[in-house]
Amino acid sequence: MSKADEDRILRVWTPLLLRTILIAAISVMAIGLLLAYTYAPGYYVLRYRAVQHNQLIGKEKFVGLVDRVLSGQPHAVLTIGLFVLTLVPLARVAFCFLFFIKERDWTYVMLTAYVLIGLIVGVVIGRVG
Amino acid sequence: MLEILAGLFALSISAGFVGALSGLGGGVFIVPALVIVAHMPMRIAVGASLISVVATSAGASVAFVRDGWTNLKVAMALECATVTGAVTGAYLAGVVPVVVLELLFAAMMLQSAYFSLRKKGDDILSKGDALAERLDMFGEIPDDMGQMRHYEVIRVPQGGLLMVVAGLMSGLLGIGSGALKVIAMDYIMHIPLKVSSATSNFMIGVTAGAGALVFLARGDVSTTLAAPVALGVTAGALSGSRLLPKIRVESLRIVFVLILVLIALEMGWRAITGI
Repeated sequence: MSKADEDRILRVWTPLLLRTILIAAISVMAIGLLLAYTYAPGYYVLRYRAVQHNQLIGKEKFVGLVDRVLSGQPHAVLTIGLFVLTLVPLARVAFCFLFFIKERDWTYVMLTAYVLIGLIVGVVIGRVG
Repeated sequence: MLEILAGLFALSISAGFVGALSGLGGGVFIVPALVIVAHMPMRIAVGASLISVVATSAGASVAFVRDGWTNLKVAMALECATVTGAVTGAYLAGVVPVVVLELLFAAMMLQSAYFSLRKKGDDILSKGDALAERLDMFGEIPDDMGQMRHYEVIRVPQGGLLMVVAGLMSGLLGIGSGALKVIAMDYIMHIPLKVSSATSNFMIGVTAGAGALVFLARGDVSTTLAAPVALGVTAGALSGSRLLPKIRVESLRIVFVLILVLIALEMGWRAITGI
């Protein structure tokens, strides 16, 4: 495949990927806020005031997150929305990484692999740092 | 709850709107808005801002990539530098004193103000250096007559070094560092300005995403704050970029510079007086 074809394919698929995940994340967050407003507005205000005093109460844990989302807990839904949103860059780089493997463009396989590892190292640093 | 949401939406929509019109991104406006107006701690504001910057970058990149303005190879190569800086910066944001963050923020605002004032024409090169050619970092842009012009790229390592600094600032301060990224590409690497802006916008998603992941994993992101702010900034940025082709931004330039200088003074004052 020529460099021009490579570029053309990336230009078709990258925007599609970005837009799809972005719309998904925005929809989930909007639903989360609507749920909070309908079922737990007092709890939302409580959490907001706590944040202003530099206290994050009711931190979301990974374990059981999906169960809490399915039972319609607003802040679990909001957390999922934020996770999906941060997946946007990760998914885009992963897509390019796989694309360059398929094209056997090893220079860019290495460069995108470095970025992917950097993003993953970020999560590790955040958890232990 | 409705009053809080209305307030957050008003702040974040305005920040996204002004960010898109000025070309500086929502981050430089939403962090001070959250700190000064919504009385949020700096670190929480930075976490929420990083998340919203990821959203605006993705939203704005769609058209730029599709229409061919973004140089994808340049973006992917330089992202190695910005991710390194961003992860380091986001880690440091958890350990350096808030007063340092506020002073750095003020300095970055002044740099952005200076960036908004400068004017420079494109200096298109027809021959790139060896490394840039090895990385296929060329591209085409239409000139005034609509003819496609080929451009080449030089000084990748030097541009990359400034990108590490841009990433560092992004992770530390929750901004996209678009102004620094454009300087690296336009001034140092001789990439045409419009391509530099579009490519910077595209890269900001990964830079801010790297920082956001550190903040999320550390538990420094408040869903209560980040979700409405991300929604608001994205809505503001989308309406701002729709309006952009229809108005004369030149006449607004001085307003943006004034806002930036005022925010820089306010953040500097907070740092010095410890308010």
